[in-house]
Amino acid sequence: MTKAERRELQERQRAAKLAQKSQKQGGGGPGKVQPGSGQHKKGPSGYDLVSTGKHPGPASGVATGAGGGAGSGHQGDDNALSKSRGLKIFSHFGLPKTVGHAVKGDIHPAVVRLALMFSEFEICGANARCIATLTAFKSVIQDYTTPENNTLSRHLMTHLSPQISYLVSARPMSVSMGNAIRQLKLEISGSDIDMVEQDAKDELCEKIDTYIRERILLADEVIQDLAGQKIKDGDVILTYARSSVVEKVLLNAHEEGKIFSVIVVDSRPLLEGKGLLRTLTSTNPPIPCTYTLLPALASVITEVTTVLVGAHSICANGAVYSRAGTALVAMLASNYTVPVVVCCETYKFSDSIVLDAFGKNELGAFLCFREGLFEISCWLTFMLPFTILAPAKIEHRRNDSAEPKSNLEILNPLYDLTPPTCITVVVTEVGLIPPSSISSIPAAMGRTLV
Amino acid sequence: MSPDPPSIPSLRSVEVLASRLRRRQVVGSRDTALETLLVLRQVITRAKFSNIDQLVGIIRAVGRRLVEAQPKEHSIGNIVRKVLHHIREEYYAATGTTASLAHPSGEFSIAKFLSQGQPRKHVLVQKSSEIRGTLREDDPDDPDSFAKGLKPVLMEALQDVLDELETVYDNIAKNAKDHVHSDEIILTLGHSKTVEAFLKSAAHYRNFTAIVPETAPSYSGRDMAKSLSSSGISTFLVPDSSIYALMSRVNKVILGAHAVLANGGMFAITGSLMAATAARAHSTPVVVCTGQFKLTPLWNLYHEYGALDFGNPNDVLGFQEADLVDKVDVVNPYYDYVRPELIDAFITNDGDHPPSSIYRLLKETYDDEDNEL
Repeated sequence: MTKAERRELQERQRAAKLAQKSQKQGGGGPGKVQPGSGQHKKGPSGYDLVSTGKHPGPASGVATGAGGGAGSGHQGDDNALSKSRGLKIFSHFGLPKTVGHAVKGDIHPAVVRLALMFSEFEICGANARCIATLTAFKSVIQDYTTPENNTLSRHLMTHLSPQISYLVSARPMSVSMGNAIRQLKLEISGSDIDMVEQDAKDELCEKIDTYIRERILLADEVIQDLAGQKIKDGDVILTYARSSVVEKVLLNAHEEGKIFSVIVVDSRPLLEGKGLLRTLTSTNPPIPCTYTLLPALASVITEVTTVLVGAHSICANGAVYSRAGTALVAMLASNYTVPVVVCCETYKFSDSIVLDAFGKNELGAFLCFREGLFEISCWLTFMLPFTILAPAKIEHRRNDSAEPKSNLEILNPLYDLTPPTCITVVVTEVGLIPPSSISSIPAAMGRTLV
Repeated sequence: MSPDPPSIPSLRSVEVLASRLRRRQVVGSRDTALETLLVLRQVITRAKFSNIDQLVGIIRAVGRRLVEAQPKEHSIGNIVRKVLHHIREEYYAATGTTASLAHPSGEFSIAKFLSQGQPRKHVLVQKSSEIRGTLREDDPDDPDSFAKGLKPVLMEALQDVLDELETVYDNIAKNAKDHVHSDEIILTLGHSKTVEAFLKSAAHYRNFTAIVPETAPSYSGRDMAKSLSSSGISTFLVPDSSIYALMSRVNKVILGAHAVLANGGMFAITGSLMAATAARAHSTPVVVCTGQFKLTPLWNLYHEYGALDFGNPNDVLGFQEADLVDKVDVVNPYYDYVRPELIDAFITNDGDHPPSSIYRLLKETYDDEDNEL
């Protein structure tokens, strides 16, 4: 840090402090803080001054936080012109939520635990989240007792709704969860009023088990077989990030003795592909794997025979809503006339149509992202998961982002939408269907099931 | 030709640069171009020659040496070609031969259009036939007289090339406001100095938003985002994976190039092909900012695989993943080859050009006989 830079930083901080004070004390600040008072302290002690200014102890830290909010409002006026555009078009994404420890209302501990795991991406992926949710709801149902003068079929849903909204506050609901919960509601309202409470609860839990088994686990097994037929000896399969179904398909095909290699394409910030790589190489003999990051995709796509990806959900028009980056993979693959095979259970089908990933998306954990930004030189820190960040660092970053000159914002959409034109076929448990016929499947299976 | 052609000067500076290039201690088109030019200037200052062929031979030999040291830094060869072109020009001007033939650009006629780009074969024939002025080649009395006479003008020519290199960013950036409009959303990739200067210059006139993907595995996009935001541009840093998702809102993709090829395609940082293809899928224009020294008389017809240059796999899969490292192939290419169909315009320090006219610029900038150094 040169002298000039240091002085600039000092000046900026002083200005920010001044603004805060004047806001808090109604303009009494300027008289107390002499504009030139700090300048004698530059030189070797200047840096210390800066750092103490940034970490002013726990008590004043809170004040800085509060003032920072006000400061950013002030800056909003200054930079309104330059920033309004960016803010406006991204505003509907909302901010990634952090689930508070304060639990309001009657939330079951299993749900609280699940919400925490969702918000910290401990449980990730449409199937895993759906199964975890249903399992948690099973214990919610078992621990539920119908109050006096009420029936289970009427009251249980009102008991479940706050649990669901608590889960949603941790992370937006996945389409798979939405479909499963809708089914559960149907079952609850349809349960027999005259049944003994425990029997009704047991029956509901059994229905949930059936749903998990039939719609997810058995569906996956069928998909394994169907997609496995598309893998031949000598194939080079490319997959992106980590999908539980794709993983099963590959392992199953390997077990059947098929000889093929896999290219795992991955991208920050989640780097889920490393997990897939680990399971693929831990087989005996290991599946030959190539690992590369998304930008290098163009270099490897020419030797690929099939692209195999999973999905978060599929829209009625056949567009696949999946982990961000899947659309790029599918687009390049279809450009190079490589077939794109999407593995997706029918319970993930959504009956809405989304036109692009901009309309509906979810912002990811930007904490780990910011970590990477502000400590680029420190690669090790940056590899660590964001959950173990020291709170001091977060505090530090909050100060950074509240700095008046920060025009830098970080956007981390979790999903993107692959247009149906880039998809060759969707493998479901009811067969291989082209994306154009997706809308007919729920009707064919009976609307109530989905 | 003289009976004893001067031995290729094994100048220390040449060797030093060659080894630094080989170790990738000098990277980036402009830096290598600048270093090459400085070395060439030294070589010419010290070179002993008594006719033009010897001088060209010396420079070619130095050029070959440097190009072999790092064949992927195309700007080395380009600068050598450019210097050769300037030397010939100065030589023709000094000796008064065929200067008018070498430069038919004065008057334009359709009839000459085809011949303009043709190799100037006649130049060699007429070269030594008549010598006017004070310059005499192969003077038996004073073998250095030719070099003495020519060197001052050569130095001036080299200074021109150097000036061009030093002002290249400014010259590219000066038209930025014509390309970036108010409230546009611009997507760029990596940390190209050219694009950085371009966007910063545009920011003086326009309010726009820049979206910068991180650009793995170098993550140079982060530096870019920091730099842009520090000069007041509203910047969004996004992961590479969200390029497609955001492309529907992007008005323009501005990329930097590593080398621009004769067919109008280019080598650029990995991810460029992906971004350009995504832009094409959304009908978003792709604009490339490049200095003229990146124009390379090469045709990329056969190598797409990572443009055949690979970086350290540690950047993709580090040794922290020790259990994976010995089981997995890791690919980390430096460059992508972007086809000319995916590019809408090249913004150079010498005006804007469509990809289809790059070959013509090449004919104007370099002499055909230098395409193979």
